[in-house]
Amino acid sequence: MSDNESETKEIRTDGTGIVAPDNETPTWSERKARKTGLSRLTYEYFERARREDQDLRTESDYVERDVLAFPTWPHETVRNLSIASFFVGMILFLSATMPPHIGAPANPSQTPAIILPDWYLYWSFGLLKLNPLNPELAILGGQKIMADRTYGVLANGVVVGFIAIVPFLNKGSARRPVEQPFWAAVGVAGVVFAMTISLLAVKNLMPMNVDLLFDLTFLLPIVFGTVTYAVLKTMREGYMYNLNRRYYRLRPPK
Amino acid sequence: MADEFIKGLGILTGAGLAWMVLASWYRTSSFESTKQLIEPLSSGATEGIFNIIAVTLMDVFLWFAILGALTFWVLIPAGHQVMSALEERRNAQ
Repeated sequence: MSDNESETKEIRTDGTGIVAPDNETPTWSERKARKTGLSRLTYEYFERARREDQDLRTESDYVERDVLAFPTWPHETVRNLSIASFFVGMILFLSATMPPHIGAPANPSQTPAIILPDWYLYWSFGLLKLNPLNPELAILGGQKIMADRTYGVLANGVVVGFIAIVPFLNKGSARRPVEQPFWAAVGVAGVVFAMTISLLAVKNLMPMNVDLLFDLTFLLPIVFGTVTYAVLKTMREGYMYNLNRRYYRLRPPK
Repeated sequence: MADEFIKGLGILTGAGLAWMVLASWYRTSSFESTKQLIEPLSSGATEGIFNIIAVTLMDVFLWFAILGALTFWVLIPAGHQVMSALEERRNAQ
């Protein structure tokens, strides 16, 4: 095989013909001067990747892949190593530079004034503090049907039950929040509720009115969910959602 | 625009990190305090040349973080807007 032949048969993986080849790509200062830099760059990037994939597919000696992605080595590995190095460096930096605060040793014979679970269980601890929501039933002569602590434990079942039901209500076919604003709003409300109920769990330490904190615990998720829904609905119109639908629905080819 | 954003973010996080480290030495009595990092200077903070340098740098980093982010996120984009608006007005005439 001569050099010339190998040159003509060489697979062009640089996307030439669709977008500018590498030696015609704009310099950084030229890119900066563009007003539509980021969107153009994104378009070129995806178009180039798509073209490269298409070229490789059409070559018969290339193993057909049904996964459109970057290889683990080196792309993903180098990316992950750099991220891991950053966080390890951050831990080393903080532990080396910040002053150590080692408290007094725990006294096992005395219960501390404030007892708290680990932070990731604050939401569950907060559910134990829903006393004002436990209804006093007139039919029982103003008595509560169950103790506040029982009510709090059952509230955990409600939250866990809702989280368990969500996958059956929504199959998760959306790739981006803008595709399903309602469910994105439900998700945002859930995340905000996890935070507010966690803050309710530490109400002794919160520098604000406890009643206001209790109300905000349930109002803020609704507010944030509504705002999310409105913003995503507006984004659809702003980005001409119907016109650009296929860009939002990019899927790996079957 | 993205360049200005990352410059502002880099200044905010970098200078903020340096400020946090120094403030944890000089303005934190306890990490369980609700006023950590913004307490008055701890005693002995103004004794010795290194302490004085560190306390000065703490304020420098804090204001650099605030003003740097404001500059790249507000002032410079606003300047660009004003310039392009003036340009448009000049072209329209």
